[in-house]
Amino acid sequence: MKSLFNLCLDMLKYGFKGDAKYMAWLGFLSFFVIFWVYGNYQQLAYGMAVTGLTDQVSWGIYLANFIFLVGFAAAAVTVVFPAYVYKHEGMHKVAVLGEMMAIAAVVMCILFVLNHMGRPDRLWHMIPYIGIYNWPNSMLTWDVLVLVGYLILNAVCGFYYLHQKYTKQPINKSWYIPLVFLAIAWAFSIHTVTAFLINTMPARPMWFHSMMPIRFIVTAFAAGPCVIVLVFLLVRKHTKLVIDDSVFNLLSTTITVCLGLALYLTLSEVVTEFYHPTEHALGLKYLIYGVQGLDKLVPFFWISIALMLGSFIMLLFPSIRKNLKILPFLCVAIFTGIWIEKGMGLLLPGFSPTPIGEMTEYYPTWIEIGNSLGNWAIGFIVLSVLVKGAVGVLVGDISYEKNQA
Amino acid sequence: MKTRLLKSVIIVAGFAMLSSASYAENKESKENKESKKETVCFESRDGRSQVVKREVKKGVPNVKCSSTTGGVLWWGDPFDGTVPMGAMPITADYTNEEAVVKPREKEIDKNKLLSVCTTACHNGEYVPVPTSMKPRKLTMHKDIVPDSMNLQHGRGGIWCLNCHSATNRSKLIDNFDNEISFNQPQKLCGKCHGPIYRDWRDGIHGKRIGMWQKGGKKRWWTCTECHNPHDVQHGTRNSGFAQLAPELAPEIPKGMKTTNHENHAHGDTPWWEGIFGGSHH
Amino acid sequence: MSEDQNKLQESVKQPTRRDFLRRTGEVSVASFVGAAGLLANAKDVQATTTWAEHFQKNYRLMTDQEKKESAERLEVRYSEEYGKKVTVDTSDAIDGVLFGYALNIQKCIGCRRCVKACVKENNQSRNNTQIEWIRVIRMEKGEFLKENMPKGYPPVEGEEYGVQVGGNAYSPAGVVLEGKHYYQPEKVPEKEAFYFPIQCMQCEKPPCVKVCPVRTTYREPDGIVVVDYNWCIGCRMCIGACPYWARRFNWGEPNLPKEEMNPVTHYLGNRPRMKGVVEKCTFCIQRTRKGRYTACIEVCPVGARKFGNLLDPDSEIRKVLDRKRVFRLKAEANTFPKFFYFVD
Repeated sequence: MKSLFNLCLDMLKYGFKGDAKYMAWLGFLSFFVIFWVYGNYQQLAYGMAVTGLTDQVSWGIYLANFIFLVGFAAAAVTVVFPAYVYKHEGMHKVAVLGEMMAIAAVVMCILFVLNHMGRPDRLWHMIPYIGIYNWPNSMLTWDVLVLVGYLILNAVCGFYYLHQKYTKQPINKSWYIPLVFLAIAWAFSIHTVTAFLINTMPARPMWFHSMMPIRFIVTAFAAGPCVIVLVFLLVRKHTKLVIDDSVFNLLSTTITVCLGLALYLTLSEVVTEFYHPTEHALGLKYLIYGVQGLDKLVPFFWISIALMLGSFIMLLFPSIRKNLKILPFLCVAIFTGIWIEKGMGLLLPGFSPTPIGEMTEYYPTWIEIGNSLGNWAIGFIVLSVLVKGAVGVLVGDISYEKNQA
Repeated sequence: MKTRLLKSVIIVAGFAMLSSASYAENKESKENKESKKETVCFESRDGRSQVVKREVKKGVPNVKCSSTTGGVLWWGDPFDGTVPMGAMPITADYTNEEAVVKPREKEIDKNKLLSVCTTACHNGEYVPVPTSMKPRKLTMHKDIVPDSMNLQHGRGGIWCLNCHSATNRSKLIDNFDNEISFNQPQKLCGKCHGPIYRDWRDGIHGKRIGMWQKGGKKRWWTCTECHNPHDVQHGTRNSGFAQLAPELAPEIPKGMKTTNHENHAHGDTPWWEGIFGGSHH
Repeated sequence: MSEDQNKLQESVKQPTRRDFLRRTGEVSVASFVGAAGLLANAKDVQATTTWAEHFQKNYRLMTDQEKKESAERLEVRYSEEYGKKVTVDTSDAIDGVLFGYALNIQKCIGCRRCVKACVKENNQSRNNTQIEWIRVIRMEKGEFLKENMPKGYPPVEGEEYGVQVGGNAYSPAGVVLEGKHYYQPEKVPEKEAFYFPIQCMQCEKPPCVKVCPVRTTYREPDGIVVVDYNWCIGCRMCIGACPYWARRFNWGEPNLPKEEMNPVTHYLGNRPRMKGVVEKCTFCIQRTRKGRYTACIEVCPVGARKFGNLLDPDSEIRKVLDRKRVFRLKAEANTFPKFFYFVD
């Protein structure tokens, strides 16, 4: 226990220190946190009237970001799975960084959910026995269960691994490996359950199809590894940790395949909905070319398609895919494209039209945008600190003997 | 100098706030007094069913009125000012219900005097009782029926004396020469409009307020409270039911500036719609 | 030097005791007057929620005693807030009663009196945000037009019609696909339209109840789907799941003017809500459990709305279901609404 406590403390200390560029990065993120504090105060004091949400469009960018980030959390599996199932040596060395990123992503998810709730002071109503936990009926309770479980799993797996490295002890494979396998399966479940959250509502015909879970998984496994690639490139450049090229090749292959699948599923959706468009296709119509003259989302959709399709075609060429100078830009493009398509591009058209046919458009207010950016900033601060701390343990900058010395 | 100025400013401001508070109170009570003038709204047909708003219980008014259309929106006491409806002509379970109506007899009874004593009409002479039932052109009551030979009810099948008693102007009359009170027009209307009467009797047609339970007390709207029997065929009207001004539409939701998109004409179709089959939305 | 210093000292007068007293006196008077001014203008004290109300149980699981206590707390809070004697009823469902509703779309003239009567009865927020539980939709009946026929697809050379899609498709011909919500003509009913009011359907199998993570919305024995406003966490899953767009959310603190407040309330019905909770039509539970019709039934000027006990064969609602052509909205959703539509 003492060593675990020291590990956490050392990681924190190491994570919040760094060279000028790193401190500038943390400072840049803290800037957003200032707006986050103000925005959250406004929302807690005045209610959600400070957002642009209405009875017509009652879920906005908070849940859009939540859905996207659950995907990002699940994408840790793209690192952990090859490391433990295929025993990919390069990945095995850095798998724990994937787990750290998953923890940061789940933290962001929780923050977005708290921002979305009308009464966060009544969160205790969800605790079983003290409150009422409507499981298994309510899909939201399943979501809470899997997300909390995933957070615990990643924390336990990740910190156990780091702790053993920190104290130079061997890893007890008898329970650790099964737990890792559980975490891998659990990762698939968190994003499946999140998809079930929205695709089990007949009232929302744009979402009410069985393709939703698989779309979520493939887009998650296309967007998540983009961030992982960027983080790994930064780790490679700025720390002593050696990350093998094979890691990047595997990740970029994963991205390519999953992006291709995602585009294929988008094509399938478009053809199915528009061959004979019923009233149920109105949401998708609103997204792709506008309905009743309302078309604010249309440019976003086409930009995201351009980004995804363009990146996919470029990634098909191994010379580009393996080029670690071009890859980061493609990763940013893919991440943005999928964020648009899966975040706002999925959530907002689900509410236009309303189930009784009213078309409206939604504009997030500055407070909403500020809170969202603040949540991302906090998430990235957590990610930076955890990843840096983990790298410190892996390269030996932090160790129990140094701590005790 | 500066501090003194500041202090005097504070004192003046404080007095200003005090006086404005008392002024606000005064203004409020004055406004209350002004708004104490009557609020009048109509229960069914405008002009025929006005009611004045007043308190029946502490904090509960008898009606709440619409400020946009002048119609009653809410009844505090549904039975305010009602009298028993009287027996239904056909026996059924509902005859055990307590049924009340807003009376029209009081108003109609004013006409009783005219039928016998007055010399107000017919060139100062005593108004004779009609001798024949044959329809003929009338010179009076043109505000209610502009042309007695073209009554907008029944398409030439009926005229005034088929419903109004020739001898007793404050009663209606049926085909058996039974006098019918103006409080119970259904006994007359139901003779021709059988299916509608049956639906009304069972509560499916027409309006009732009060207690929903079977046997519960209800105030029934009688036929003429909604339908003007002199005017039912009129082109722009709906079964003798005049059009109303609608209440206000809901507020435009946040994020929308106008509701013009609802009126969006079916515009151009994108080029690829031609591949999948035209649809001009 | 010392002369200058003396001159300097003279120009800066040392405070005397008199000065001190005078200054203190001025400041006190000023602050007194200022405070009095502020107090005189101060709004009525917004009664704050007590700890007891914050930590109370879900209403459905409360004992009768706890329900009574909760209602009393609310009565005290509401009475102070609105300056009138407010009652919060906690009566249970009447035995042997299942409420049903039928709306005659042959008769509805789209006057929206039901919408406004409901607001007068049920204490919704009036502005910022405006909440109305009933929404009336205007369905336009258009004509099939000869001049539309050439607009078909694909256009056939020399002929004026479409082989695959007719030119009158996607027009309001017959009846329009999508109704209008914000119609505001001078008079209703309009000749070319009919009207369709929609409110909570009080489903027998409500999708909103199933998705609620904390069971704050649930079916009562008399069939009314209710919300315990003190238990709702504001996650808005129910608003997403309702196929009829029947549920509303209090985005901010509701704005209910004191003089508009209806003091006769029910815990599960029209008691004033707070920010961050969901609300919807409750079939005027405060009235119907005491035997009275709902506000929308009573106000409808054309008698289009019918209500009663579905389990009583002599009720008007059962007679409607027996005799009239009845349908449910979105019946394919299998929500089994108890709000029916019929035509004469």
